Amino acid sequence: MKFAKIIFIIFALFPFYLSAETAEEQGLRIAKASYENGRGFTDMVSDQLMILIDPKGNEVTREVSSKTLENLDPNDGDKSLTYFKTPKDVEGTVMLSHTHISDDDDQWLYLPALGRVKRISSSNKSGAFMGSEVAFEDFSGTDYRKYEWKFLGEEMENNETFYKLESYPNYENSGYSKRISLIDNLNRAYKVDFYDRKGELLKTLYLEDYVLYKDKIWMANTMKVENIQNKNITIFKWLNRELDVGINKKDFEKSSILRLAD
Amino acid sequence: MLKKYIISFLFVFLQYLVASQNAAAIDYKAYGFIQPEITTFFNGDGRHDQSNSNQSIFVKGTFITYLNNGDQKITINTTGRIDEKDSERSYIDFQKFKYEQYFDDITLKIGNELIFWGVNESFNIVDIINQSNLAEDISGTKKFGQQMISLNYNHSYGNFDLFIMPFFKERIFPGRNGRPRLALEVDKSTVAYESSSKKNKIDAAVRYSTVYDDYDIGIAHFYGNNRSPELNVNPLSQKLDAYYPILSQTSLDIQSTKGAWLYKLETLTAKNGEERHFGIAGGTEYTIYGLRETTSDLGIIVEYTFDDRNDFAFNNEGVLALRWTKNDIKSTSLLAGLVADMSGSSNRFFAEFEQRIRDDLKVFIDMSINGEIDADDFTYAFEEDSQLTLKIAKYF
Repeated sequence: MKFAKIIFIIFALFPFYLSAETAEEQGLRIAKASYENGRGFTDMVSDQLMILIDPKGNEVTREVSSKTLENLDPNDGDKSLTYFKTPKDVEGTVMLSHTHISDDDDQWLYLPALGRVKRISSSNKSGAFMGSEVAFEDFSGTDYRKYEWKFLGEEMENNETFYKLESYPNYENSGYSKRISLIDNLNRAYKVDFYDRKGELLKTLYLEDYVLYKDKIWMANTMKVENIQNKNITIFKWLNRELDVGINKKDFEKSSILRLAD
Repeated sequence: MLKKYIISFLFVFLQYLVASQNAAAIDYKAYGFIQPEITTFFNGDGRHDQSNSNQSIFVKGTFITYLNNGDQKITINTTGRIDEKDSERSYIDFQKFKYEQYFDDITLKIGNELIFWGVNESFNIVDIINQSNLAEDISGTKKFGQQMISLNYNHSYGNFDLFIMPFFKERIFPGRNGRPRLALEVDKSTVAYESSSKKNKIDAAVRYSTVYDDYDIGIAHFYGNNRSPELNVNPLSQKLDAYYPILSQTSLDIQSTKGAWLYKLETLTAKNGEERHFGIAGGTEYTIYGLRETTSDLGIIVEYTFDDRNDFAFNNEGVLALRWTKNDIKSTSLLAGLVADMSGSSNRFFAEFEQRIRDDLKVFIDMSINGEIDADDFTYAFEEDSQLTLKIAKYF
């Protein structure tokens, strides 16, 4: 059978094809698989706790809750609506964000003290989110297409083998020159080192408490960021995360901010 | 009188809605703050013999609940102040006391509401729905709630709003002991209107707003009692008589967001009584993110406003301001700038600092320093009112 022969040849060539993959292609392939691990949620609601710890061990906790709408168009980003609960002086603040893969995101902010919805600039990629060690780009820059990738090899840590990837942001105003990620054999990100614009190690992100949703979606419910330079630590925890709850698309329009606002 | 009926109706309606819910606890949010303030004036006693210091307490309380799976919402937002020196500055206001019903694409709203129109940081010339409380803040940015019935239709082409506003609230001016205050007192007993229905005139407004790419656009028309009265000196009483003409105003506001640059424009044409006027205000805001490799941001704001009425207070003014945001755990920020009358020598420097000092405490320091003011400028009355105010808000 001719057909079987062709199949045989394809399989026979497969290992060769793998080895012919460049480090960039291999990096991109793993990054894409890792990204797609968290896709297919349709929409999501969750409460988030952010614990900020300074070098002396002083802790403060911030609470927000959020809704996210997955963009089924693979060439455009997700939409999210964040409601701030604490600190008390920002209670009632609402942020709407329409992320984009190649363009700047669209962002609107409702501040109770001003009583108005403002369109804000989203160029502050490297800005700190609520005084934490998490930058805005850490939330909006999860799409693998925002980076150039390179596979560096395999690395052992805690008796486990990880893929080691290097990535460089290909959008403007990033606070990073490069990132080094460790990805496990289920394509889940385990650890990311961020290097500042000068090339110095800035911070390390650990992704923990992975939960499998809908039998196919892996999401980390704890993210810990250790800033190597200023010694601050931020722990981000997702609580009550629910996927595919059927949120109305219109909730993510600018005019809907006022439905949440005070 | 009717106003009281509406308030009591809303109370009864609220009770009905709450009672009609399941006996299980109602999900609601309630929060607010109390804010003592101390002001000291740099130039001794005022031009009108006011005191060189003042103390005041400001409070704000918010209550929100959603009913029937979020199809209905009740919002109560109350502000109030007790002022040591100026009785006109002591007040309580239901800025928001509203019931909303959400249909698929339509929102129906009944009650007191604050509606903000505009995009600028300083000169919000198109913002017209709510009345200003000049005793609270002479710049007019502090507003009272406006009673209304409003409909919003959310179409894929944009948002259409209709506002019907049955009760008019007169502008509040600083009293005799207020500082700053106008040179003469505003006489409350001689208020006059162009409309024969006076304050019972039913005002109306429509607005279309949309987001198109980097542009946020709003087009609106307002017809009703002007929120801003004409003030005329009464030679007999030596007080100011307020006269509220009927205003028919068409406005446009646009913001364009291009990376770190924001471009803003508000413009209007209006018939105020028998006279037509034109106004335009706008400017730009540019932000440097991660200033000198730190986490702080520096915004530079330049705005200008023009009005073709020569006797209008803000007919040719500019603002240059810097906003520094530290983005630290304490949310430290400083806004400082200069407001200048481009056709005279009147100018004012201001600075506003704020910082969270504990999870439930925030400190604000506001400073305002007047330069030399032309004697024919209406702000001449405030020339000696340079001041420093310390406010501490306790949130609960």
